[in-house]
Amino acid sequence: MLHIILLVGLVAFSVLAVLSRDLLKSAISLAVASIFLALVFFGMGAAYVGVFEVSVVAGLITVLFITAIALTRHDGDVAESRRHWIVFPLFFLALAVIDVLVMKRLLGQVPAIQGAESGSFGQVLWNQRTFDLVGQVGVIFAGVLAVLALFRPDEKTHGDASRGGAHE
Amino acid sequence: MNNLWLVDMGFVALLIGTGLYCLLTMRNTVKLLIGVEIIAKGVTLALVASGFARDNLVVAQCLAITVIVVDVAVIATALALVIRINRHTQSLDVRKLTKLKG
Repeated sequence: MLHIILLVGLVAFSVLAVLSRDLLKSAISLAVASIFLALVFFGMGAAYVGVFEVSVVAGLITVLFITAIALTRHDGDVAESRRHWIVFPLFFLALAVIDVLVMKRLLGQVPAIQGAESGSFGQVLWNQRTFDLVGQVGVIFAGVLAVLALFRPDEKTHGDASRGGAHE
Repeated sequence: MNNLWLVDMGFVALLIGTGLYCLLTMRNTVKLLIGVEIIAKGVTLALVASGFARDNLVVAQCLAITVIVVDVAVIATALALVIRINRHTQSLDVRKLTKLKG
């Protein structure tokens, strides 16, 4: 029962993140949804992913979103359609009905193959995976470069400021 | 398959549907990234729920951590692009990105 309540909370805060007009509220709703998801993972016994979800997704990504929102304060001119408050509930209801009608029949055909647990988490993470770790290291470096680009000063304003300083 | 897995997959479909709706209808670029993030949450939940149902949580956790790492890199890169674009167009509106329009 607690599992279902946590999943409902996760979907509710995700919907709030989509429908909220204020970007800051959207980012915070997304962080709360991540915390609900992490609690679901802890309930399943997946502690490693739960810790990652709380620290990286609820922490780091929220900080990145809030930084980006603070650096781009021209969001008042983006006029979202007012029809979302009517269209989205209809869309969501239709999706839920299709979900209930189709999901059981669709996923019931998946063969129940039991995979054998093979070793501890560390063995599987570091020994069984080989080449995709290289790709993952590349992805992490791409993220680091992107964060550097996020905080790079604007060339034009930076140049003007240094020129102004030289005159003084 | 057990019933808990079916319930989890139902919620996964709702999350991915919500994210897709956000991607298809919103005009704010930051909101589009929030949509991507919601879809990534659905995918992570699907991986861990499937591992839990098949009693193979270790491999599922490894894959989920990989998805989270890739997701962070994607969001960081996309937010850097959004800030750069914002400095050029003075707006977050995705409809104003028409520089390459023929």
